[in-house]
Amino acid sequence: MMLNMKVAVYWGCKISTSQYSYELSLREVARKLGVELVDIEGASCCGDPIKGLTDLAATYLSARNMALAGVKGSKNLLVPCNRCHLQLSLAKEKMKREGIYSKVNSLLRRENLLFNEKLRLWHPVDFLHGYIGLDKIGSMVKRNLKGVRVAVHPGCGLIRPSKIGRVDESENPKKVDEILKVIGVETIDYPGKLDCCGAMLMYLNRDAALTLAGEKLKAVQDLEVDCLVDTCPNCHEMLDFNQSSASELTGEKISLPVVYLTQLIGFALGIEEGKLGFQLNRSPTEKLLKINFKRVLDGKVKG
Amino acid sequence: MKDLYTMKESNLKMKDQLREESPFPWIQYVTSCYQCQKCTSGCTSMKHLELKPHEVVKLVNMGLIDELLESETIWTCTECLKCWERCPQGAAPVNLILSLRNLAVKGKAKLPENLLKTVSSLIEIGLIQREQRVPLKNLETVDREKLNLPKLVYPSEEFKGILLSMLEEVF
Repeated sequence: MMLNMKVAVYWGCKISTSQYSYELSLREVARKLGVELVDIEGASCCGDPIKGLTDLAATYLSARNMALAGVKGSKNLLVPCNRCHLQLSLAKEKMKREGIYSKVNSLLRRENLLFNEKLRLWHPVDFLHGYIGLDKIGSMVKRNLKGVRVAVHPGCGLIRPSKIGRVDESENPKKVDEILKVIGVETIDYPGKLDCCGAMLMYLNRDAALTLAGEKLKAVQDLEVDCLVDTCPNCHEMLDFNQSSASELTGEKISLPVVYLTQLIGFALGIEEGKLGFQLNRSPTEKLLKINFKRVLDGKVKG
Repeated sequence: MKDLYTMKESNLKMKDQLREESPFPWIQYVTSCYQCQKCTSGCTSMKHLELKPHEVVKLVNMGLIDELLESETIWTCTECLKCWERCPQGAAPVNLILSLRNLAVKGKAKLPENLLKTVSSLIEIGLIQREQRVPLKNLETVDREKLNLPKLVYPSEEFKGILLSMLEEVF
């Protein structure tokens, strides 16, 4: 049965201007699950990168994007980027203060917008886990990936700070693991799971940022998993796009496939690899698709 | 009170002002810090940049804020939020660091170059970067159109005007 529901989606800068594999795979997975994604037109940056410069402007940007979602009449907003999701959630908290609320709303009114505090924010992780449901995803699996072992990188914004309510538990996040279990994938626990990829440091100190990413990648590579799974375009840029730079900088030989959760789910739901943007990953995903997944799928046919 | 290394004067009034006027409401508990150093022990930036969040908190509580505003320390935080999550007193050093950055910008501090690039893109198009052509494995490059992704609709001129005036206020 098709669910057939509409959800507004706020892509943010990173996804809509460079991390196309996330956008492609999320659009495909949503379509497959019977969800119609409604793009917000005229959306801007969420404000996260400038909250250290002027937080009022950052909050205004977040509030405006949430107000635009309201124009489309949506009560739910899907926010696929961890940093955007965090920034929008923080802005919702800050807008509870009268001083900020009135300042920001008077700016919004100039574009005939109104802040909507009732808007419910979703990240693909809790959207798949809670809104769609694990049973529903499980019932639609076409390619069970039993035998594939992965490490999960939840990313900071997804799990911290718990005080304002995050998508998953701060010290023991397991929603991504549970989603992956449904498609047959085994996830392993590892010491650096909660560590940061360093993305926000790219604005401030590139070398230190890439060293952090390199260390995380090396630690995961040593676990001998098939790939690393992430859920945020900032993390993905560090771990996938910048993998070779991180490798050079740390002096470690790193060759680890890094994929988005939605790419893996899409693959399991039987969506063609090209439509999921695997060709856009810089990390060696061809190895993952041609050797690791094939091994698993072929084994299944024979067995 | 005076810092004997730098001869900077303590300014406790500035501390109260920072607490009261911060756009980050979570810094109100900063005075409850008892220096357990849980923040520093888990700090992502401590590994490479020697950011010691507990020292930042201590300096603020001692009123040595000018010192922090001029130092690079506040520009080395990667915002991993572990200190906020783990602080037993709810002091949330990351919010304090962001508040200090806001204050430093008002005081015309020198900003990291990449951050300035981001801001200029934001003013120009409303996004932190332009649409990129990205490489495939065979080195051919593709854009949104080639990937059959919908055309981006950029924010209005009205919006860009509002944002520019907000940024002009602080820069």
